[in-house]
Amino acid sequence: MNVSKIIIAIAAALALTYALAQGQRPLFDDAPRTPSKAAVVFLHPEQITIPAGKPTTIALHFRIAPGLHINSHTPNQEELIPTTFKLPPGSGVHLDGVVYPPGTDFTLSLDPSTKLNVYTGEFVLQARFMATPGDHLVEATLRYQACDNTACMPPKTITAAIDIVGK
Amino acid sequence: MKRNTLVITAVLFILAAFAWSGWANWEFRTQAAERLRASAPQGELVVDAAGTAQYNSPLLGKPAPPFTLEDLSGKKHSLSDYKGRALAINFWATWCAPCKIETPWLIDLRSRYAPQGFEVLAISADDIDRKDPRKFSDEKQEIARFVQKMQMPYPVLIDGDSVADSYGDLDALPTTFFLDRNGVVVAAQMGLTTKDALEKNIRKALGMIK
Repeated sequence: MNVSKIIIAIAAALALTYALAQGQRPLFDDAPRTPSKAAVVFLHPEQITIPAGKPTTIALHFRIAPGLHINSHTPNQEELIPTTFKLPPGSGVHLDGVVYPPGTDFTLSLDPSTKLNVYTGEFVLQARFMATPGDHLVEATLRYQACDNTACMPPKTITAAIDIVGK
Repeated sequence: MKRNTLVITAVLFILAAFAWSGWANWEFRTQAAERLRASAPQGELVVDAAGTAQYNSPLLGKPAPPFTLEDLSGKKHSLSDYKGRALAINFWATWCAPCKIETPWLIDLRSRYAPQGFEVLAISADDIDRKDPRKFSDEKQEIARFVQKMQMPYPVLIDGDSVADSYGDLDALPTTFFLDRNGVVVAAQMGLTTKDALEKNIRKALGMIK
């Protein structure tokens, strides 16, 4: 048997092994998944450059899934969980303040007397950042609680990753 | 030549072994995934003949999963304590606006049907942190304030998250399961429906209607 035949046989064995390995991915990767439970996604910006040491206001864009609403920062009832934006401590960037947009009034069809104050669709927060010089990859968080017309989902916190460069 | 044949046979045997092991492994994991899916009780919303959205829970027609939970005073309540009574197990939370609308309906219906042997068990899905005594106390106080404000006269149990899985991964509140006197789930509702729909399911649990 010549060497080339052995090489071909080994190559074939390796190719088959590779093909079989593709079938070893976790089964649930192929299984139908339930839709993502994140009712809110962070849209942009992903990267900003601001003057170091100087408070700078940046517009942060978020989008709420169709058919859902989340409480505004100032919901009408004390038990309801307000939407809040935070930065983790020690990230090299200080959150000097956030201006939340006003919510819109919302009434559940089964009880017109209950008036909620909510965000729907896309909403924008004006966050005032102050950064030290350098590149800071900040994992900001947005806490919210989402509902549709008849039911509510548990409160959730999502991460908004923003690369903040202080110059 | 004999040696060549031997090598080729060995290579083919190894290839066949690879193929067989891959296939066997895939079959095994397919079956395991099927078993996992089948064991996870997840329901869906369907509309009944009257046009009311009903929660088509996999628990329907089955005995309700047992549980033991504390109320706000620390007293333990087991599902078995309520044997012989028709029940509405109502999962709710203080942050759930539709639950606030539904609660007065449940209070009214409970007072109306209690003489027939009906009771409501309200299970709060509010977060509970037992590791931090101070936080735990604050969280209980928050629930207690809500209970007092709404004047809920029935048992209010806490730490609903610990039993939510067995009731089907309750990601939407309010969700209510209606049990007959034998502890079998005869109806379920997810989300705010109407007071009439609640009453209909209570009557079903009491065996007054089918």
